[in-house]
Amino acid sequence: MTDLAAAETSAPREKLTEKMRVRNLDFYYGDAKALKSVDLDFYANQVTALIGPSGCGKSTLLRVLNRMYDLYPRQRAEGEVMLDGENILDPKLDLNALRARVGMVFQKPTPFPMSIYDNIAFGIRLYEKLSKADMDERVERALRGAAIWDEVKDQLNASGLSLSGGQQQRVCIARTVAIKPEVILFDEPASALDPISTAKIEELIDELRSDYTIAIVTHNMQQAVRVSQYTAFMYLGEMVEFDQTDNIFTSPRERRTQDYITGRFG
Amino acid sequence: MTPLQASRKARSAIAMGFCYASAGAGLLALALILAALLWSGFSNLSPSVFTQMTPPPGSSGGGLLNPIVGSLIMTFSGVLIGAPLGLFAGTYMAEYGRNTRLTTVVRFINDVLLSAPSIVIGLFVYEITVVPMGHFSAIAGAISLALLVVPVVVRTTEDMLNLVPGTLREAATALGLPRALVIRHVAYKAARAGLITGLLLAIARVSGETAPLLFTSLNNQFWSANLNAPMASLPVVIFQFAMSPYKEWQALAWVGALLITFAVLALSITARVLGAQRTSS
Amino acid sequence: MTEAALSSVARSTAKIDSREKALRRFEIGDRIFHIVTRSSAIAVLIVLGGVIVSLVQGSMPALSKFGFGFLTSDAWNPVTEKFGAAPAIYGTLVTSFIALLIAAPVGFGIAVFLTELCPYQLRRPIGVAVELLAGIPSIIYGIWGMFVFAPFLQVHVQPALIATFAHIPGLNLLFAGPPYGIGILTASLILAIMILPLISSISRDVFNTVPTVLKEAAFGIGCTRWEVMRSIVAPYTGVGLVGGVMLALGRALGETMAVTFVIGNAHKIGASILGPGTTISATIANEFTEADGAIYTSSLIALGLLLFAITFIVLAISRLLLMRLEGQGAR
Repeated sequence: MTDLAAAETSAPREKLTEKMRVRNLDFYYGDAKALKSVDLDFYANQVTALIGPSGCGKSTLLRVLNRMYDLYPRQRAEGEVMLDGENILDPKLDLNALRARVGMVFQKPTPFPMSIYDNIAFGIRLYEKLSKADMDERVERALRGAAIWDEVKDQLNASGLSLSGGQQQRVCIARTVAIKPEVILFDEPASALDPISTAKIEELIDELRSDYTIAIVTHNMQQAVRVSQYTAFMYLGEMVEFDQTDNIFTSPRERRTQDYITGRFG
Repeated sequence: MTPLQASRKARSAIAMGFCYASAGAGLLALALILAALLWSGFSNLSPSVFTQMTPPPGSSGGGLLNPIVGSLIMTFSGVLIGAPLGLFAGTYMAEYGRNTRLTTVVRFINDVLLSAPSIVIGLFVYEITVVPMGHFSAIAGAISLALLVVPVVVRTTEDMLNLVPGTLREAATALGLPRALVIRHVAYKAARAGLITGLLLAIARVSGETAPLLFTSLNNQFWSANLNAPMASLPVVIFQFAMSPYKEWQALAWVGALLITFAVLALSITARVLGAQRTSS
Repeated sequence: MTEAALSSVARSTAKIDSREKALRRFEIGDRIFHIVTRSSAIAVLIVLGGVIVSLVQGSMPALSKFGFGFLTSDAWNPVTEKFGAAPAIYGTLVTSFIALLIAAPVGFGIAVFLTELCPYQLRRPIGVAVELLAGIPSIIYGIWGMFVFAPFLQVHVQPALIATFAHIPGLNLLFAGPPYGIGILTASLILAIMILPLISSISRDVFNTVPTVLKEAAFGIGCTRWEVMRSIVAPYTGVGLVGGVMLALGRALGETMAVTFVIGNAHKIGASILGPGTTISATIANEFTEADGAIYTSSLIALGLLLFAITFIVLAISRLLLMRLEGQGAR
C-alpha cells in the first residue's frame, strides 16, 4: 500500500485513471503460493512493465488478469482484481467476454493454422457478423494498426506459418487488436525475436498505448525502460516496488530493487 | 449477452455435452464387456479347468488343460523362432545397414506385414507348410505366430537401437571394441528395457490370435505335445466351443476368454511398467 | 565365442601375441555377427515377400477361371464350383464403414474428454485403461457380441428400429425385419466398439501435439472450448486424425474373430442391414478347413489376396498422412 501511495504522490505527469486494480491478490499452484498479497494498478493509456527474476510471479500475475489460469486444474487466485470496477475473479464471470476485453500476446508467436487473413478475421467473427467488405476493411485496419499491412497485403491467403517470427508476432498483435480489447497483456513478446523485430514490436507497443491499457512482462530491463511509463518489480511472489519507470531505474526505494537493476542477482 | 454470444455458448455446450456423452457411452460399453467377461468367466472357473482335457460334445465337466498347454507351446515356439530373427534383422537395419536400400525395402515390407490381417498370414503358412506336409500341425501354428512376432520385434528393435545415442557407440569404439561387441554389449544394454517391452507386446499380440491358427494347427480334442500333429489352442477352442450349441462348451469358452484376457493384460501392463522405467531413468 | 574374446582383452595385455590373436578373433566375430544380422534382414524380406507371392500363386486357379467376374459375382456354390466375391467384399466394406461412422465421432469425443474435460486426476487412469483395452484380443469382443450383445439387440433394439422406420421410404428397406440379433448391423457395432479404444488413444495423442500456447492464444481472444477444438485443434491435427481413422479402418477391414461370431455368414447382398451377411475374413475363417476341391480353396485364397490389397491401400494412405503430420511437427 505504501508503494502505491508513493507512486501517486511522486508528481504524476498526466491525469491517470485506473483501468485495472489488483488488491491483496494471492495465487496458488496446488499448495504452492506463487503470489503473496499483490497490490498493483494499471493505468489507462500507460504501459506498465512487470520485471523481476525468473519465477518471481510476473507471468503468473499476467495470467490472472485474463483468467488464463482457469484452463488448468489446481490453480486458483484469491483477492480482488477489478476491471472498471468489476471483480474479474468472480466465478460467475463470462470468461469469453473477459478475454475479449483483455487481450494477450504470447512469448512465442502463435499464428493459428489458417491463412493470415483468417487469423485476423477468425477473432472478429466470434463477436460480430460483418459483410465481406466490412471484414476486409477491419482486417486491413488491424494489420495496419500492427504495422504489418505493407509486408503481408499481397499474401493474405498464405499460411500464417509462412512468415518470419517477427512478422508472425505482429500478426498476432493485429489479431488481438482486431477484436477491440481494452487491455492488452504482453508476455515477453520479443524474447524469441531478433533485435530488429524487437525494435519494431517495441515501437508498436508505444503506439498502441494511445488506445489501450498495456501490461508487459519482460526480463529485459532496457526494454522496460524503453517501452513503459510504470514499472513493478516483483520478487519471490511479492510486489516489491511499483513506481514510475524513471523512478524505479534512477532512484529505487527498496534495497532489493536496487540489487536487481544493478545486476546483483536475477 | 448478444444473440451471437448466446448461440456461441450454446453450441459449445452442445458439443462438449456430446463429448461427455460419448465418453460415457464408450467407456460404459467397454466396461460392460469386461464385466460380462469377469462374471461369466469366474462363475465357470474351477480347478478342473487346469487339470482336465476338453470334454466331448454335450458332456459336463472337463477342462482346458490341453488348449492351455497347446497355446503355451505354440506361443513359446513361435516367439523362439520369430524373436531372434526379428532382433537380428532390426539390428542390421539400425546398426550396419542404416540408410541402405536393403533396410528401406525391409522396413517397407515389414510395415505392410505389421498391419496385414492375421488371417492372411494364416493362409500363407497353410500354403507353405500344411500343403507340402499334407496335414495340419502345431509347428505350422507356431510358424504363423512367429510371422506375427517378427514385424513387431523388427520395428521395436530398429526404433530402440536408433534411440541409443551415437556418442555411446563412439565411446565404446574408442575403447577398441569391434562393432559386434559394441552392439551386443553396449547398444543392446542401453536399449534393453525397450527391447523387452517390444517383445512382451509381441507376445501379447500373438497369445490372443485365433485366425491364423484355424487352418494351421487346427484343433485337437486330446492331449498332444507332438509338434507334428494338430494341437489345441485356447483361441481356437474358444471359437469352436462358443459357436457350439452345448451349454457346457459355451461355459468353458468364457473361462478360456477370461484366461486369455488376463494373460494379455498382464503382459501389456508389464510392458508399460518397463517402458515407464525407461523413460524416467 | 566373442564374450571370451572380450574377457581376453584384460589378459592379453601381458602378451603381445595373445593380443593379436584377440584382435583376429574380434574380426572374425564381427564378420559373423554382420553376416548373421544381414541374412536375418534378407530372410525377413524373403519370408514376408513370400506371403504376397504365395497368395497370388494360390489364387491364380480361381482368378483365371472366373476372371474379373470373381469381383462382381454373388454366386457362392461349392457344389457347382461357382464362386464370386461380391457379397464378401460388400459385407467387409459396409461393416467397416458403419463401424467407422460410429466409432470416429465417439472416439474423437472420448479424446476431447480425455484432453480437455476429464478431471485431472482421472486422465491418466482412464487413458491407460483405454490403451489397455486396445490390446484385448478381438475374440473377446466376438464372444461378448454373440452371447450378450446380439440377444440384447434382438429383443430390445431391432424391433424398435424396424417399427420406427417401417413407414419411411428408403429407411424401411435398410431396417427391414425380422430381428435376427446377428447380422450386418450387429457386426458393425461390435467392430465399432473394438476399434473405439484405438481411435480414442490415437486421437488423444494427436490432440496432445497441439502446442499449449496455441490453445491459450485462442482462449485468449475469447473462443469457447468448441471453437478452440473446431478452429484451432482440428485443423492443426486434421491430417493426423484422418491417419488415425484410416489405421482403425485397416484394423476393421481385416478383423476376423469379432465379426465371424455375429455376422450370420450368409453369402448374399441384402438391402437390410439387420439381415445376415458375410465378410472376406469371416468367409475364410468359416470355410477354409472344410473347403474341398482346388477351385474352392483357391477362391478362398483369392479372397485373402483381395483383403490384403484393400487393407494395404488403406494403410498406405494412413501412413502417408501420419508421416505428413510428423513433417509438420518438425517444422
